Amino acid sequence: MASAATWVLAEFKDEAALCAAARRLRELGQQRLDAHSPVPLHGIDEALGLRKSPVPLIALIGGVAGVAGGYLMQWWMNAVDFPINVANRGFHSPPTNIPITFETGVLLASLSIVFGLFALCGFPRTHHPVFETEGFRTASVDALWLSAEVKAEDAEPVSRELEKLGAVQVSRVPEGL
Amino acid sequence: MSVEMRELTALERGTLEGAPVLVGRPDDRKLNDDLFLPVWEKTRRGWLALFGITLGLTGLLFSAIAYTFAKGIGAWGNNIPVAWAYDIINFVWWIGIGHAGTLISAILLLFQQKWRTSINRFAEAMTLFAVIQALLFPMIHLGRPWFFFWLFPYPSTLATWPNFKSPLLWDVFAVSTYFTVSLLFWYVGLLPDLAALRDASKSKAARIAYGIFALGWRGSARHWRHYRIAYLLLAGLATPLVLSVHTIVSFDFAVSQLPGWHTTIFPPYFVAGAIFSGFAMVLTLMIPARKVFGFEGVITQRHLDNMAKVMLATGLMVSYGYLTETFIAWYSGDKFESFVFFNTRARGPYAPIYWTMITCNVLVPQILWWRKARENTILLWIVSILVNVGMWTERFVIIVTSLHRDFLPSSWAMYRPTWVDWSILSGTIGFFGLLFLLFLRFVPSVSASEVKELRRELEHEAHAGAHAAKRAAPAARVR
Repeated sequence: MASAATWVLAEFKDEAALCAAARRLRELGQQRLDAHSPVPLHGIDEALGLRKSPVPLIALIGGVAGVAGGYLMQWWMNAVDFPINVANRGFHSPPTNIPITFETGVLLASLSIVFGLFALCGFPRTHHPVFETEGFRTASVDALWLSAEVKAEDAEPVSRELEKLGAVQVSRVPEGL
Repeated sequence: MSVEMRELTALERGTLEGAPVLVGRPDDRKLNDDLFLPVWEKTRRGWLALFGITLGLTGLLFSAIAYTFAKGIGAWGNNIPVAWAYDIINFVWWIGIGHAGTLISAILLLFQQKWRTSINRFAEAMTLFAVIQALLFPMIHLGRPWFFFWLFPYPSTLATWPNFKSPLLWDVFAVSTYFTVSLLFWYVGLLPDLAALRDASKSKAARIAYGIFALGWRGSARHWRHYRIAYLLLAGLATPLVLSVHTIVSFDFAVSQLPGWHTTIFPPYFVAGAIFSGFAMVLTLMIPARKVFGFEGVITQRHLDNMAKVMLATGLMVSYGYLTETFIAWYSGDKFESFVFFNTRARGPYAPIYWTMITCNVLVPQILWWRKARENTILLWIVSILVNVGMWTERFVIIVTSLHRDFLPSSWAMYRPTWVDWSILSGTIGFFGLLFLLFLRFVPSVSASEVKELRRELEHEAHAGAHAAKRAAPAARVR
C-alpha cells in the first residue's frame, strides 16, 4: 500500500443517500470506496462503478475442467492403463462414464465458485481497519456504512463532505493501527 | 360477455394466498435479536436432556461399529441370499432424507419461492447431518473399512484403478460430491450471519470464534457482488446434483438383474421418494423447534402448509411408482417378477412390513388434501413421522423381500436383524439428533440476512401493489 492511508467510515440511514454520497466522492476523485450493509443494496454497484463479477467465468472454467478431467480419467484408467473387461463391454464405454463425468463437473465447478469467491473477496482476512470503529459493528445488523480509504491529508475534507452528504456519524481509522 | 374485472380486496387475496410468509414487518434489529436468541440465551434444560440422550445413542452407535469391526460383518443379520440389508436400507433412507434440504434451498431459490427463505438454513443443516449418517453405512459395510480409500482413484503400489463401470463406484462419486457441495452451499449461505453473530457478540471468545468462521465478511458491496452470483450458481449446480444422487443410488439396484430391482422406473421413483421422506423429516424437526424457539412469526403456517402440499404431491408420485411397478410385473409376463410383487411382497412372510409401507406412504398422506389437517400442527407432525417410518419400510421391502426369495427355492432364507443392526440404526438417529442440537445451539437456524432481504422485498411489493391499485382504481368495475 502507498503512503499512510486513513479509513473514513460514515453511517447512513437510507440507501439513496449512501449511493449519492458514493457518487459524489467518486466525482471528487476518491476511488477506494466501499459500502457495507446487512443485505445487498440496489444500485450500489453502479454508484461505486463496480464491474460485473467474474464468478460465472470461474465456474465455467472449473466445470469444463471437471467434465473433461473426469471423462479423461475414466478413459485412461479403465481403457488404457488398466483395462477391465466388464461383461464384454468395450474397454472405453462412453455410457458408463456419464454419471462420474457429471459428478466431477459439478464438484469442480462448485469448488471453483467457492474458492474463487474467497479469493476475490480476499478471505480469510479476519482483521481489517474498518473493524477498529466500534460503531461499525452495526454494518452486519441494521446499518449502512460507506468506507473510503484516503490519503492521510484527505481524511479531514472527506469527513466534512460526508457529513454534508447526510452521514449520521463519521469516524476515522489511521492505517496500521 | 360481461366478466366483472376488479381488484381483489385484501381479504380475498388473503384467502387465496393463505397465511403470510412473514408475520408483521419486524425491523432488522429485531430480526437479529429474535433469530439469534437461541445462540445467546442460556442453555435450556430441555436441550441438555436431549443432548444427553442423543449423546448416549451416539455412544451406542460407535460401540456397535467397534464391535462390528472386531467381529466382522457376521455380527449383522445379513447373509446369503440377503447380503444387503440394514446397511443399505439405512443408507438409502438417510440420503433420501437429505434431499429435501437441497430441494428447499436450491430448487425453490431458482423458482424464486419466497417461502423458502426462513426454512432453508434448517433444511440444509438436516441435509448435511443426514448425509453424514448415510456415508457411515457403506463405509462400515466394506469388510475392511480401513481400506476405504481404495475406492478413490489414486496412484498406488497396487497398480490398479477402480472399475468405473460399476454403479457402486458412481455412488462413491455422487455421494461424496453431494456432501461436499451441500457443505459449501451451507457455509457460503452462513457467512453474513456469522459476521452478524461476530458483531453482535458480547464476549471476546464468541467474537473471536465467530470472527474466524466469518472469514472477515464485512458486508461490503464488493463481497455482495460476488456472493450473490456465487450463491445462485451453487443453487443452479445443486439442483441437477440432487436429482443425480438418488438416480445413481437407484442404479445400484436397477442395473442388477434381480426381480423387484431391475426396472426403469427406479430413478424418478427414488427421487420422488427421497423428497417425500425429506420433507417429512423437515416437518418432524421443524414443528417442535419453531414452537420451542418461538419462531412462529418467521416460520409461519404458510410454510407448514406448503411443505404439507409438497409431501402430498411427492407421496402421490411414490404411489404412482408402486402402481407402475406392480402393473409392469404383471404386464411383462415375467414369472419371477410377478412372484415378487404378487406373492413375496403382499402375501409373504414380510407382508406386514409391506402393508405398513402402503398405509404410511399411500393412505396416510391423503389426509393432507384437507386444509384443516394441514393447519393442525400436531396432526401434521404425526403424519410426518408416519411418512418417515413408511419410507424406511419401503427400502426394507425393496431390498429384503427381493433378495430373500432367490430364483431357486432351495436358496430361500429369512433375514432377521441382530441387536448390532438395531444399535447402529438407533445410533445414527441419535447421532443425527446430536449434530442437529449442536446446530440449533451455535448457529442461527433461520437465516437472518435472508429474512431481512425478504422483508425488504415484501415491503417493496406492497408499495408497488398499492401504486398499481391506485392507478387501476378508476378503471375498476368496467363493463
